[in-house]
Amino acid sequence: MRKLLDLKGIYVRGNGDEYRLRNIHLSINSGERIALLGQSGAGKSTLLEVANGSLQPHSGHIKWRGIHLKHLTPKQRQRIATLWQDLRLIEELTVVQNINVGALGQHNLLWAFRNLLGTIESKECLPYIEAAGLEQKNISTPVQKLSGGQRQRVAIARLLRQQAELLLADEPLSSLDPTLAGEVLELFLNKKAIQSIGIPETCMISLHRPDLISNFTRVIGLKQGQIAFDCPVHNLLPFDINMLYIDE
Amino acid sequence: MRKLIPSTPIITILPALALIPVLTDVLIGVHNGGGNILFEFFSASLHPSLEQTVILSAWKGLQITIATALLSWVISTFGGMILGVISSNTFWQIFESSQWKAILIRRILAIPRSIHELIWGLLLLQVFGIGPWIAIIAICIPYSSLVARVISDQIDSLDHGRLIALKHSGASPFASITTALLPPMIPVINSYGSYRLECALRGATMLGVFGMGGIGTEMQLTFQSLEFTEMWTSLWMLGGVMLILEKILSWWRKAPSSPNRSERQLLISIGVMLTSVLISLIWLQALDINLATNFNWHPIGLPTIADIKNSFHELSWIDLISNTLLMTLLSAGIAIGIPPLGMILWPTKLGGAIQSSIWLLLRLIPPPLSALLLLLCTNPSISVAALALGLQNLGIMGRLLKEGVSHQSKDLYTAIHSSGSGKRLAWLYGHLSLQSKSYLAYAAYRTDVILRETAVVGVVGGVGLGWQLQESLSSFDWAQVALVTTAYSTLTLIGETISEKARQYWLNSAKGPPSLFFQNQF
Repeated sequence: MRKLLDLKGIYVRGNGDEYRLRNIHLSINSGERIALLGQSGAGKSTLLEVANGSLQPHSGHIKWRGIHLKHLTPKQRQRIATLWQDLRLIEELTVVQNINVGALGQHNLLWAFRNLLGTIESKECLPYIEAAGLEQKNISTPVQKLSGGQRQRVAIARLLRQQAELLLADEPLSSLDPTLAGEVLELFLNKKAIQSIGIPETCMISLHRPDLISNFTRVIGLKQGQIAFDCPVHNLLPFDINMLYIDE
Repeated sequence: MRKLIPSTPIITILPALALIPVLTDVLIGVHNGGGNILFEFFSASLHPSLEQTVILSAWKGLQITIATALLSWVISTFGGMILGVISSNTFWQIFESSQWKAILIRRILAIPRSIHELIWGLLLLQVFGIGPWIAIIAICIPYSSLVARVISDQIDSLDHGRLIALKHSGASPFASITTALLPPMIPVINSYGSYRLECALRGATMLGVFGMGGIGTEMQLTFQSLEFTEMWTSLWMLGGVMLILEKILSWWRKAPSSPNRSERQLLISIGVMLTSVLISLIWLQALDINLATNFNWHPIGLPTIADIKNSFHELSWIDLISNTLLMTLLSAGIAIGIPPLGMILWPTKLGGAIQSSIWLLLRLIPPPLSALLLLLCTNPSISVAALALGLQNLGIMGRLLKEGVSHQSKDLYTAIHSSGSGKRLAWLYGHLSLQSKSYLAYAAYRTDVILRETAVVGVVGGVGLGWQLQESLSSFDWAQVALVTTAYSTLTLIGETISEKARQYWLNSAKGPPSLFFQNQF
């Protein structure tokens, strides 16, 4: 297994003196499917933001395949895809235009303008639309007119369009009905047989539901900004999980 | 063929295409004669004159401009608030009176609003001759009715539940107005009022260029005598004042508003305004400008109906109106499209800082001066006028875009940038897409302002209603003056209606509340 992402000695300070993350050391290897557990405010979202490079830690370093995250080229940065908890879709744009945002890193400014003009062929997006379970009739609809579940699917299609190697997802199942949550998890864990597009083999997904961790290979528990445990799923004890959700 | 469906971020930059015909036309007319002078002008910016007499003269001009701007700002804001209240339907509802009075007042106020302060200034000059109050009154007339319009619109859009409750409890009309209407209006008055101060400063400078005193007159005189180093002394001093003012107002607008804080802000605003009046009066007195000068009425021969009929047939209306509209569209295209395009092409911190400096410089130079500057190296044309007008408005739009972006969440930008997009694409999709509808709504309003401002530069291109008005004024042809002013007024009122519809469209189509920052600039 090859080391993809390496975080060493990460500290992220909050508003006051307290730390949102403290002394985080972890590596993500290719093929790993990591579940990230912890109470609200434990630091899961912060850890994902640090891992994708959108938040600079106050100390420590993050490397992608041995290269410092700050020094990655746009093409290399594209290898890390994130599904944000608030989805971060562009409300004014249509479904296809939003999905194409995932491919911005692969194209130039002219292509980006063409996407905004609506002249990019939608067929390029069709495999992702299909994989995310979106209906084709909606592709020209502005996302602000879609329901919550459909918006989630658009965000997933955009993420797949990025053709990344590592998938980071922040509470992707929290607002979904059980059927859709199951579908999304299957997709992210590469259990769906989709030939036409590549699904990242490696992922780190933050969850609120410990009952789902059996689908993963590794579990990281965060408590008060620190790693409480980091082990293969089969080594995890119910006690560890209980400790994570008990207030001290 | 695929159907083009441009989305709002691209619509903000498409108007920049107007620069192509304008630049082509300007470049075709380029002559070498003024090249050296133009070079001298720009190189003078690096070594402005530091002679004591020049600095003192510029400082005196600057003080006159600031005092003029402050006085006209305070008078027009207070006047506008009173007019705004009495032109609202709500006011007449409180008095249980018919609303036709509100409609009538609004219709009457539309006329002074539709005519640019320069035209008022030139008309007042003809009637009263030069005097210290001319510039102040010229600014106050349109500004009061502009403020009145905003205030009456805001009052009528308020939730009237509180007002009805007060009325039923037997409160007097005065108590109803101060208790139910005033508190929700305070943030609007604070924010919009502060924006008008910037406009007043620009207006006072511009009127100076046309001989009404202050720093504008200093700039015009030094420009005419090609003393560019002296002109830059005035420009840099004005720039410093504008920058300080913009910073103070930006801080003021950013201050969080809560009901308690709003009331305190209103008290501070009233204090600032009253102090401004006092300071301005003392200032002008200290500068030997006698404000007690009587108005000298220079009677003008009112035109007869026959004169008006003759003049109507003499003027080529189609050309005058179409050229005015063309100038408006070209200027608006440059002003609206270039700032977002510039930020996309150069989105770095350095790029942003350089563009902000350029925008400041463009806001500083009054359009008639930039037009004259362009004329040093190219032939007069509609494009020169459009470019000069577009450049100053570009400076205004650029600053608003940057401030708007700085007020919004960075989350989308971060998300797009972290997924491998370069800064340009991240700026386009992450910043501009969030700001585009508010920006376009403001652009609709700005286009309306540009239409009024064509009066200022029309004379340079020798086209349009602005040019014709100056010609008619110079020849004391009052029949033509009356006709052209009426045509201008009608055109700007139609433009105002269209711009209002466009503004509402963009604001209503935005998801969530529109950016309050942009909203309060109208």
